[in-house]
Amino acid sequence: MKILIVDDSSTMRRIIINTLSRIGYSDVIEAEHGKAGLEKLGQGGVEMIITDWNMPEMDGLEFVTVVRTTNSSIPILMVTTNAAKEDIVAALQAGVNNYVVKPFTPDTLKEKIESLLG
Amino acid sequence: MDQSEIDALLHVGEKPAGKGKKAKETPAAPAPAPPAPKGSAVAADKEGEVISEIDAVTAVTERETNKVMDQLDTISQLVLKQQDLITQVMQQPGAQDGAVQQALHEIMSAGKTIQDKVYEAMDLMQFQDITRQKLERIVYHLRQIHDYIVDLLGTGLKSEGERANISRTIAQTGTTPDERKTHADTVIEEFKRSQQKS
Repeated sequence: MKILIVDDSSTMRRIIINTLSRIGYSDVIEAEHGKAGLEKLGQGGVEMIITDWNMPEMDGLEFVTVVRTTNSSIPILMVTTNAAKEDIVAALQAGVNNYVVKPFTPDTLKEKIESLLG
Repeated sequence: MDQSEIDALLHVGEKPAGKGKKAKETPAAPAPAPPAPKGSAVAADKEGEVISEIDAVTAVTERETNKVMDQLDTISQLVLKQQDLITQVMQQPGAQDGAVQQALHEIMSAGKTIQDKVYEAMDLMQFQDITRQKLERIVYHLRQIHDYIVDLLGTGLKSEGERANISRTIAQTGTTPDERKTHADTVIEEFKRSQQKS
């Protein structure tokens, strides 16, 4: 399964990639903001998206909104520091399937990914 | 929160994504600038310096955190290599003695503990991204103050371009992964229930 990680923090991308590889997902591509994420997505093959919210160029919410205009089925997990209720609701409204608040544990990420993949 | 509250939230005139590409809040229109007091100009300059320093700190901490991650990766790879070697040794005819096997198993077990601790340390590096976003929020507010002072003094020395988006809510919930997960899960459940109702 190819997973696209969109996060402007190189540290956070490494942590997520590392966690994913420990739970059995090693086919991962990265982008540092929403705009780059859309380009990667356009190259095809991506089966799941993990995205941050706060990023330059194009933030995570805008990215999700754009993705959902053309793809209603790809699972999207938002991983962010934004923890306010209205933020979580806004993300779900935009088309995010599940939401993880940083800092997260590997177990949380695994649980959320597995719930998305059914 | 039920659907009507969510709807109300979405129609108060602000886009839910507001904070992402949020335009800088416009300060109150400055009155015609009075002659710039020398002390204020110095204060604006100092503030610009502080912003640059905070920017530099976030860049340096990200770079240094990645160096720590590199070291942890190296340790992790060495442990895996060691585990492979021990597995090979365990299969050697000369290592079939019970005591030797026991010792090798203990070394394997210690290696696994080291590996787990390395992973734990890597996970803890999330603090860097969280701290960075907190600092960016501070920088965002400092820039507003800086720009306001510059406007007031009419020097035209605006702060630099677009910042990464600011997490204005970062301090609103607990800081441990468990607290934050519980909070998010509760909101998701409420949202799903409200969707089912409507």
